[in-house]
Amino acid sequence: MIELRNVYKNFGKLEVLKGINFLIEKGQVVTLIGPSGSGKSTILRCINLLESPTKGQVLIEGKDITQPKTDVQVIRKNIGMVFQHFNLFPHMTVMENMTYAPLRVNKRTKEEAEGKAMELLKLVGLTEKANAYPGKLSGGQKQRIAIARALAMEPKIMLFDEPTSALDPEMVKEVLEVIKELAHTGITMALVTHEMGFAREVSDRICFIDEGLILEDSTPEKFFGEPKTERARAFLEKVL
Amino acid sequence: MKLDFSCVWQYWPFLYHGAILTLKMTAICAVFGFLLGVLLSLVKISKWKPLVWFGRLYTSIFRGTPLLVQLCIVHFGLPQLLGVTFSTTQSGILTFSLNSAAYISEIFRGGIQAVDKGQYEAAQSLGIGYKDMMKDIILPQAIRHILPSLVNEAIALLKETSILSYIGAVELLRAADQITVMSFRFFEPYLVIALIYYIFVMILSAVANRLERWVNRSDRAA
Repeated sequence: MIELRNVYKNFGKLEVLKGINFLIEKGQVVTLIGPSGSGKSTILRCINLLESPTKGQVLIEGKDITQPKTDVQVIRKNIGMVFQHFNLFPHMTVMENMTYAPLRVNKRTKEEAEGKAMELLKLVGLTEKANAYPGKLSGGQKQRIAIARALAMEPKIMLFDEPTSALDPEMVKEVLEVIKELAHTGITMALVTHEMGFAREVSDRICFIDEGLILEDSTPEKFFGEPKTERARAFLEKVL
Repeated sequence: MKLDFSCVWQYWPFLYHGAILTLKMTAICAVFGFLLGVLLSLVKISKWKPLVWFGRLYTSIFRGTPLLVQLCIVHFGLPQLLGVTFSTTQSGILTFSLNSAAYISEIFRGGIQAVDKGQYEAAQSLGIGYKDMMKDIILPQAIRHILPSLVNEAIALLKETSILSYIGAVELLRAADQITVMSFRFFEPYLVIALIYYIFVMILSAVANRLERWVNRSDRAA
């Protein structure tokens, strides 16, 4: 479903990714874990080309999307992304946030788009906020809406880039609940998070990233139980 | 010293038509200047360097020379060069729109660059194209930041239309000039048009205030 082949990414002189190889099968939930600055988010952003790799290939359903003739918009509309800082459109109501892209990009009718949006608002438990502006929502509510907005495009893949890192502690749970529910629906998911308990619970696989390389790629049981590398052990000792 | 406003009332139709022309020119040039300015701001933030250079050169020329000189070049200079003649209003619209675009593009560029990078990323991640993203996501947010500056620009434009009198357009100032010639009274006509300008600017500010509240409605609405 998603494959990275020998992906390098430089920002100026800084080498952030130094040859990433990994594969996410359809329906899998894969969590990227590692110290800050290790390149986890950059990997995620290479999957929907918010960053283009300096070298290497990214394949989505077998198609190399790093080819110059790739229609980036078509790739992106099939990949939902949830950001650390929500990035809701502040001048639009929740409903407008959720229906804009389905209307414009997927050419849905207004009824279809609003029907789908209400369905998703029910899923994230915020139907009563349909006509509110983002400025009136709590952080947890914003992130749930952001998830619903991404889902409104009916993506095949969901990317979560530290979805709870900007939240007050008491709001983390409501967001994780939604993501957990989603993980069980069979959608393909790649996740960057610092919530270790959550990662262990929802992931099919854990990738441990440090200094631009994948050092471990295993099941949560193995990774949290007996990490193979010294660096992973050191990292886990610090965060657990 | 004795004030005598009777000359003003006697020639009131001059002032009335002058005021209409002043308002018309302001409105037309504000609209064209706004549209051109938005386009020019997009040119300035484009990834293609020659476009950026063009945008910068354009702005530096229009900001670096007096508006009155620009008006003279368009109205008296261009006809000689190109063999076409412009009416005073045509010259005015052309000059003021092009000039205003230079200032408005700078205002917009700043406003666009002040919009959070996350907004672009969210729009892109939803598969929204550049044009829709700018039109519906980025520019509406940029406008909120820059509305006060845009109002200032409109107010400046309104007052600057007075230099149209130099090329003979009968706007407010020229109308007052004509009254002075016919009545030999100077203080009263100029005082009255100053008051008229002032009232126009106050009305514009009031409208801008309401507009600002409307644009920011999402901050208040539940």
